Amino acid sequence: MKTLRYFSLLIIALTMSNCDTDDDGFYNNVFADVPNLVAIETQQNYNVGDKLYVKADFSRYLNETGQTEPLDIYKTTGNAPEFVFSYVIEKQISASVWEVFFVDDSQLDIIKGDAQNGSYVYGHCIYNAADETYEYNVGFPLLTEGQYRLSFGYNSTSTTTVELRSQSPATKLILNIDSLVADVDAGGYYNFTVN
Amino acid sequence: MKKLIAILLFLTTVLQAQESTVDIKKNEFRVDVLSALTSSKASFSYERFFDGDFSVGFNANFSNSKKLNDDFDNGYRNNLPKYEVNPYVRYALSKSKSRYYFAEIFASANGGDFKEITRLVDGNGVAYYMTKKSKYTDYGLGGSLGYKMYFKERIALEFLVGFGKNLTNTEKSPDVISRVGINLGYRF
Repeated sequence: MKTLRYFSLLIIALTMSNCDTDDDGFYNNVFADVPNLVAIETQQNYNVGDKLYVKADFSRYLNETGQTEPLDIYKTTGNAPEFVFSYVIEKQISASVWEVFFVDDSQLDIIKGDAQNGSYVYGHCIYNAADETYEYNVGFPLLTEGQYRLSFGYNSTSTTTVELRSQSPATKLILNIDSLVADVDAGGYYNFTVN
Repeated sequence: MKKLIAILLFLTTVLQAQESTVDIKKNEFRVDVLSALTSSKASFSYERFFDGDFSVGFNANFSNSKKLNDDFDNGYRNNLPKYEVNPYVRYALSKSKSRYYFAEIFASANGGDFKEITRLVDGNGVAYYMTKKSKYTDYGLGGSLGYKMYFKERIALEFLVGFGKNLTNTEKSPDVISRVGINLGYRF
């Protein structure tokens, strides 16, 4: 019985000694609002075989909403080599059913930056030191006829904005940019038809 | 850690602490084995016993935990406790002088590093965010419960669990301070 008592005290002590007494949180994150960093290259009509391009080409110096001085995002993030964001392209299956339209990475037309496609497109805006901009220009192949939609809210709660997150070196600040996107409806969708 | 648990369990089973002349010796020095092993914390305590059930003492500890340093650098926490000085008053809850439960109240003066994100503007009128580090100091109060036993009349083994609250600078300091330890001591 005594041993059990001592053992219980020991377990309690060991457990409590590992308690984090601080408020949990992530204190290396910075948040900023900068509109129109990512754009959908819209066109009047889409045909099978066309590609839908999403483009980003923004300077390291950005005009942050609510601030007067331009923000150096490259310096802030400890020279982050890229910013990432995500979006989804879905095809309408029936009146109320949409499913993610999947293509292989090799079918993406990567002009600038980089991208991987799975349940969503994971885009990388890669820093170009020559002109001090982060660049992304990737085309998504439209392989079949139908009604499609594109949205940026897959990894976030936002609808009409896209969230770009810096890939900062370890221990450096991580910059999260919330950027308003044009050409999407109130629900956050860019709807288009492929003929 | 398994070895430590085995040793402590062994000690508790073989210890036959006896009522003796323990209470004649009025001073005790202890080191916290648990904090040293799990938190890279050097923790030392002194206790002065009075006739009766009361004693007073203080604890001083200094921390340099790799995990806490990494968490601080990686942004999982915005403060990094470095030291604590904790004076305390204890009351023995058991009649035995060689094995007894106790309660204590303690005060704490503690400090460490704090960091926050600030927006600065350089000489060219360009802004950037950076982490600004500073020091903090805070003072708190708390209470603990523990169990202590002696063997060979001089060697103390003590279990302690307690918590307190910082009071004056919680914008920067941890809200909660803890006093958890397994102490080995020498009474003289």
